[in-house]
Amino acid sequence: MTTLSKPMKKSSPVAQKAIDFYLSQVQAINARHPNPALASFRQSVAERFAQQGFPSRRDEDWKYTPVTEFLKTHYTVEGVAQIDPQQIKQYLPPFDVMHLVFIDGYFSERYSDDLSELPRGLSIEPVKDALDFSQGHCSLMTHEDKIQAEPFGCLNSMLFDDGLLIQLDAHCHIERPIFCSYIQTQNQHANTLRNRVVLAQGAQLTLIQQHVSLRPDVNAFDNLVAEIVLAEHANLQQIILQDVSLLSGYFSLQTIDQAEKSVFNSVYVGIGGALSRHQNVLMMQGAHVESNQSSACLATGKQVMDTRTHTEHQAWWGVSRQLHKLVLDDQAVGVFNGMIKVHQGAQKTDGQMDNKNLLLSNTAQVDSKPQLEIYADDVKCSHGSASGQISEEQIFYLRARGINQADARRLVTQAFLLEPLEVIGSPKTQAWLSNKLTHKLNTKT
Amino acid sequence: MLLKIENLQAQVEDKQILKGINLQVNPGEVHAIMGPNGSGKSTLSSVLAGREDYEVTAGSVEYAGEDLLEIDAEERAQKGIFLAFQYPVEIPGVSNKLFMQTAVNAIREARGEAPLDMFDFDQLAMEKMKALQMSPVMLERSVNVGFSGGEKKRNDIFQMAMLEPKLCILDETDSGLDIDALRIVADGVNSLRSPERSFIVVTHYQRLLDYIKPDFVHVLYNGQIIKSGGFELAQELEEKGYDHLIQAHEEV
Repeated sequence: MTTLSKPMKKSSPVAQKAIDFYLSQVQAINARHPNPALASFRQSVAERFAQQGFPSRRDEDWKYTPVTEFLKTHYTVEGVAQIDPQQIKQYLPPFDVMHLVFIDGYFSERYSDDLSELPRGLSIEPVKDALDFSQGHCSLMTHEDKIQAEPFGCLNSMLFDDGLLIQLDAHCHIERPIFCSYIQTQNQHANTLRNRVVLAQGAQLTLIQQHVSLRPDVNAFDNLVAEIVLAEHANLQQIILQDVSLLSGYFSLQTIDQAEKSVFNSVYVGIGGALSRHQNVLMMQGAHVESNQSSACLATGKQVMDTRTHTEHQAWWGVSRQLHKLVLDDQAVGVFNGMIKVHQGAQKTDGQMDNKNLLLSNTAQVDSKPQLEIYADDVKCSHGSASGQISEEQIFYLRARGINQADARRLVTQAFLLEPLEVIGSPKTQAWLSNKLTHKLNTKT
Repeated sequence: MLLKIENLQAQVEDKQILKGINLQVNPGEVHAIMGPNGSGKSTLSSVLAGREDYEVTAGSVEYAGEDLLEIDAEERAQKGIFLAFQYPVEIPGVSNKLFMQTAVNAIREARGEAPLDMFDFDQLAMEKMKALQMSPVMLERSVNVGFSGGEKKRNDIFQMAMLEPKLCILDETDSGLDIDALRIVADGVNSLRSPERSFIVVTHYQRLLDYIKPDFVHVLYNGQIIKSGGFELAQELEEKGYDHLIQAHEEV
C-alpha cells in the first residue's frame, strides 16, 4: 500500500467510500494484466484521483447532475464476462458494417469481425500496445491532462485496461462503417475503455458506437474516453447510441482535434442509463474546419441525462453547427451545457448552437447553459436554448383532422426528437436510430 | 338536415360570447356568416370544431342526428366535420405527407374502410394538389413551416379535399390573402361543392363571397344572428356596412 497525498477537498461519506473503493481497484486491474510501466502510471493517476475525488453539487459543472446515487454502487473491475456467441448477432444493425465487439470493458477478438482482413490503409490495434506509459502521466495522450482534470476522465486513466487505436492512412476512404458494440454483461462491473482514432490527411471514415446491456437488470458502469485526431481534409462521421439498461451509468468524454479543412460530424442518441453524461471537447485548430455536433435524448422515469460540448474555434473560417434536443417525461432530469469559445485569431468564425427541450410532464426538469466566449471581432456566432411543453395548438390542429389525442402527441414529440438525426447522411443509419428512439417513445408508460 | 344549432350559448373565461345562436344547414347548402370583429364568428367555428377552450353554457347542436357537443374534436373530424383554420398551425418535423396519411387513415378506419397504402395515398394526394396548383414538393415539407399565408390556406383546402368532409367550416380563410391566392382558395372550395357537402363560410369581408356564392348569408353581432338573407344581403353589407343593421337591431 502506497501512501496517498491528503485529499484537497472534503468528500461526503458516500463519495469517500467510492473513492477508496476505486483506489482499491488499481491493484485488481494491475493483477489482471501485469505491466510495470502501466502500473506506475496508474499509481501517479491514483494520487491525483485521491485528491480530486468525485464531484458534488458544489462543483459548477455538476450542479444539476447528481452522482451520489450512482456512487452508492461500487463497480468492480474483476469478474468474467458471460455471453453466448448467438447473442452477439442481435446487436448488429440492419446494414453492412465491420463489427468490433467489446465485452465488459475489453475488446473481444472472438466476437468481432476478423481483423486480419482489414481494408487497405486501415489498422486496428490494442491501444495499450501503442502507448508509451514510461513517459509519465501527461504524455500518454495529447490531452491527458485535460482528461484527468475531469473526475471520470481521471478514473478512466486510472482503471482503463483496454481500448483500440484505429488509424486510417492518408486518402483512404472506408465506405463500410466501423461499428463498435460495447456490451455490458456483468452486474456491478466497471467497463473502462480508452480509444484513439487517428485519420490521416484526406481519410474518410464512419464510426458507429453503441452501448448496450445484455439484460435489462444489468447494472454496470461504462466509462469511455476517446481521443480523435483528424488531419487536413480528413472526414469523420460519428454516431453514438447510448442504450444501456435503465440501471446503468454511462460516462463518455471525447476530445477531437481538427486540422485544416477537416470535417467532424457527430450525432449522439441517449436512450438508457440511470445516469449518463456525454461530453465532447472539440478543438478546431486548422482553418476552414467544419463540425457538426447533434444530440437527441429521451429521458423517462428518474433518468438523468447530461449532454455537453466545448467547442473551440482556434483558426480562420471555422464553421460549427449544433442542435441538441432533450425530451423529458416523468421525473427525468436533463442537462445541457455548451460552450463556444472563439480565439482571438479565429476571424470569420461561424458558430451556431441550439438547445431545445420538450417537457412532457410537470415533474421533469431541465437545466440548460449555452455559453459564448468570443475574442475575435469578425465572427458570426449564435446560441439559444428553449424549453417548453407540447403546443396545444398543434395538438388541436391534428385532432381537427381526425387524429386522436395520443397519436397527435406522439407525432409531435417524435418530430421534435428526431430532428437532430436529419444531419446523418446515410438513410439506413438514420432509420436505425429513429427506430430506437421511437420504440422507446411508443413503449414508455 | 345536416346541422341544427338551437339557442347556442358559449363563454370563454367567464365572458359570454355566443348568446343564443340558431342556425340550420341542409346538405349541399352554403351558408356565409358575416359580422364585425368581436361578434363571435370565430367562437362559433371553434365550438363547432370542438375546441376545448370554450364552454357551452346552453343550447344544443345536432349533427347528422347526433348530439355534437358530446363528441371529441377528433371524432367530429372522423364524422365529417372539417375546420379550415384562420391561422393554420405550423408543425416542424412532421411532413405534410405523414400528417395527411395519418389523418386520412384515421378517418378511413373510423368509417370502417381499409387504410390507403403509400402508392394509393400518393396518387390521391398528387391529384388533389394538382387541382389546387400546389407543388408536389409541399408534400415533403413540414406542415405549414415556412409557408406563405396563401400557401398555408391552400394547404388547409388541400386537407379538406383529401378528407372529403360533409360539413366544411371556413374560419376567415380569406384573411391575409392577396387576390390571386383568394381566387385559388375559392376555386378549390367551389370544386368541392356537391349536393351532399355543406359549407359554413365565416368571413368579415364580402370579397370571398363574390367567388363562393353562398345560398344564405347571416349577420352575427354581439353573439346573435341579427339578420339572415340570400346572397343579396352580402352585397348590401358591402355597400352600407354593418352599422345600419346594428342600429336597426338595437332599436328593436
